[in-house]
Amino acid sequence: MDFYLQQLPQQLVNGLTLGGVYALIAIGYTMVYGILSMLNFAHGEIYMIGGFTGWWVLNLLSKDNVPIIHAGLVIALMLIVSMLVSGLLGMTVERVAYRPLRKAPRINLLLSALGVSIFLQNLVLQYQGAKARFFHITSLIPEHLRVFQIGDVMLSFMRILVIVVAFVLMAALTLMVKKTKIGKAMRATAQDPEAALFMGINIDRIIILVFLIGSALGGAAGTLVGLLFTQVDYYVGFQAGLKGFTAAVLGGIGNISGAMLGGILLGLLESLATTFFPAAYKDVVTFVILILVLIFRPWGLIGKKLPEKV
Amino acid sequence: MQQDSTAKEWGNPSRILFVIGLITALSVIPHLLPNNYWLRIYTMTGLFVMLALGLNIVAGFAGLLDLAYVAFFGIGGYTFALLSSNHLNIHWPFPFVLLLSSFLTMGFGLALGAVSLRLKGDYLAIVTLAFAQIFRLLLLNLDQPVNITGGVNGIYSFDPIHFFGLKILSPVAYAYLIWFFAGLTVLASFRIKQSRIGRGWEAIREDELAAEAMGVHTTLLKLMAFAGGAWVAGAAGTLFASLQDSVFPNNFDFPQLVVIYCMVILGGLGNIAGVVIGAVLLTILPEFLREYGAYRMMLYGLILIVLMALRPQGLLGEINFLSKIRKRPDKDESGVLKASTDLYYQAENPEKEAASRHAVGQRVMLELDRASMQFGGLSAVDNLSFTLREKEILSLIGPNGAGKTTVFNLISGIYQPSWGNILFEGQSLTGLKPHQVVKKGIARTFQNLRLFNQMSILDNTKVGRFSRTSAGPVSILFHLPKHKKEEQETEKRTKEILGLFGARLTGYRYQQKAMFLSYANRRRLEIARAMATDAKLLLLDEPSAGMNPQETVEMTRFIKKLRDDYGYTILVIEHKLNVVKTISDRVIVLDYGRKIAEGSYDEVANNPYVVEAYLGRKK
Repeated sequence: MDFYLQQLPQQLVNGLTLGGVYALIAIGYTMVYGILSMLNFAHGEIYMIGGFTGWWVLNLLSKDNVPIIHAGLVIALMLIVSMLVSGLLGMTVERVAYRPLRKAPRINLLLSALGVSIFLQNLVLQYQGAKARFFHITSLIPEHLRVFQIGDVMLSFMRILVIVVAFVLMAALTLMVKKTKIGKAMRATAQDPEAALFMGINIDRIIILVFLIGSALGGAAGTLVGLLFTQVDYYVGFQAGLKGFTAAVLGGIGNISGAMLGGILLGLLESLATTFFPAAYKDVVTFVILILVLIFRPWGLIGKKLPEKV
Repeated sequence: MQQDSTAKEWGNPSRILFVIGLITALSVIPHLLPNNYWLRIYTMTGLFVMLALGLNIVAGFAGLLDLAYVAFFGIGGYTFALLSSNHLNIHWPFPFVLLLSSFLTMGFGLALGAVSLRLKGDYLAIVTLAFAQIFRLLLLNLDQPVNITGGVNGIYSFDPIHFFGLKILSPVAYAYLIWFFAGLTVLASFRIKQSRIGRGWEAIREDELAAEAMGVHTTLLKLMAFAGGAWVAGAAGTLFASLQDSVFPNNFDFPQLVVIYCMVILGGLGNIAGVVIGAVLLTILPEFLREYGAYRMMLYGLILIVLMALRPQGLLGEINFLSKIRKRPDKDESGVLKASTDLYYQAENPEKEAASRHAVGQRVMLELDRASMQFGGLSAVDNLSFTLREKEILSLIGPNGAGKTTVFNLISGIYQPSWGNILFEGQSLTGLKPHQVVKKGIARTFQNLRLFNQMSILDNTKVGRFSRTSAGPVSILFHLPKHKKEEQETEKRTKEILGLFGARLTGYRYQQKAMFLSYANRRRLEIARAMATDAKLLLLDEPSAGMNPQETVEMTRFIKKLRDDYGYTILVIEHKLNVVKTISDRVIVLDYGRKIAEGSYDEVANNPYVVEAYLGRKK
């Protein structure tokens, strides 16, 4: 038991890092679900392509694995470009695969999303191959910051960066949704798209915006994970997508603060699980959580149960 | 009019010829193929036909998006691998292992179905996907501490199979074996589709709540769909494992699932011939793309996107090339259309003798005792008590939001009362599910019309017979007498009931989809569907809403006829007061969930509280 207690602070930090990433992915799911009531199955792939974009920017700005411009600028550019690429990709997917199905049964939307996911995954496989791509980040960070220790906890610059970036992005999104006019329009569209339309809100624009923001956050998560675990491959989107979705469901799908909470909670749970289970079964924990939540509390931890209208 | 359904099925010579031709072709092809490579593709085609049809049971017939299907395929494969190889040194005979693995897989299907029953649509998809992922992780990791699954390396080299004295070794023998099972699956699919279970599944796919309210045991049927799909997948897995002589986790991975889904969707969910063609096309065509690696999977992704946008019903959906064009009965010889109202009056029976007419009885049929329904803090129905006597027509009126439809939902079991009791023929309905209420003899219609839009008029009505029939899967698959007798009875009763509505719901319209009916005819079909349940008590929710004055008069007469000539007890919600005035023996007025007046139409109409509820208080 002592051993576990000793590990606890470390696992909390690891969990928080992981949780920040999951939360970013979950936001994309939850925002789309809130407005279209659809499960954007392709979101994991958008995250994966975000990761690849980050890797590509890093390579473009490095020579012999040493950055040719200021390291901070490299990281900033990686994040910005990957958010842009993922955001635009999300918009395109909405336009091509989802908008024609706006009035179709939800099951058709899900299948179309499944198609997009398979398509994007294999597109990347075709052009990037099945091998993992490595992020050479050692020269990005000054040596004394790579890994350091506070008390019993091992920290690294990247861990802190991930936590800070994730929380800054989430705070910015919360402010936007709660305080701005466009945020109000988004909330209105989520509650009742038709009524929002009659009140003069261009819901097509809102939906595009939701895909742009959600996908951009997913792209940021892809790059952050790349920086943290230093690799990306064509298949990471599938698992990450499931994690993100689990987080969204855990917090109550359709609810942005729920997704943030769910992401962090899932990260912590997973970290703690690795102390008790073999690492190979870490993902089983996620899936069991997902199944249990969906069956016993499908409206999530902070969502509300609504009676079915007859 | 009456036709023996078996004679219809087998008596058609072109159909017999088609089947014989198909079987001959299928048995000749293995001997004509140039090499073992193509022979193997031929065999795999049969396997995919089987797999796609199995998925079609869950996803197509019942509309349940089961993403664990590929795991069931794997369970079948690994069961065979473990019980028929040196891996655990168990060498059981093939027919036994085949049966065992099918039933074992079915058990898993039932278990998954049971835990995910409450979930719908994408939630169900995600839970089943999570299940499939857990299965895959177990396959990959259960090679230690004890080697069960062989991890990434899988299990290989199985016992050669003997099938009732026949040794299956050569590729040709495998082709025959697998196509034999594929053929059985096709036959079984057709049989189950044209049965009470098939219709029940279709109804659930269209509108689960309406299906339940029409007497379909939705829980049981959904479990059956999961079980049936898993059963086929388990058998296919066993055959596949033996054919490949090895099993690996990758054989049962997500991309494989997408391939099977593409086949089913390309053919059209629920369309058996379509799914077979989809499976054949998507097994053979990608062979030409094999060298291009990931393009093959990209193609599958594109197929899903494009089909969903352009032809969500699949390539063959809504093309019924086997059926004849029906002559429209509402055209006379000169080709001039007759008004359907004329046909209605032609078909109407002459008035019955006054002596055989039914009148209000003394026995209490339905009794509400302080029934209440609360949503959060709001009382939608507040301590409502009333009785309904046998063969009485009682109208429930009141302003919008007075709780009228909630009363119907309480009686039909869709809601359970917060407190209070509802008695039907002296027995409490509390705790009964809607389909059990139907079985007791109560059927309803819906205010906002909940027909099974994609189903034909005949099938819509036949769904109502579900609670009065009981043939199980075995009876249906083997065409046992019980099933045949029930089907004939169903056909007869259904046509009798539809006949009451004259040409509006009969003749060429039998095969028409409900979605193509006019608004008024949909209301009529809802009543027909409710009558098909053999209900004693009909709950009609605004039967004349949206009808023009002519149609309203007709409906008014029809409701009266239902009681006078056929002896139904009727509780009706209606806004048109002239209808209420004509049909009602008694009227109850609700406001804010409470009964504010009760009595004959005239008594109620002059009640000051009623006037106030409708028109507001006089200053």
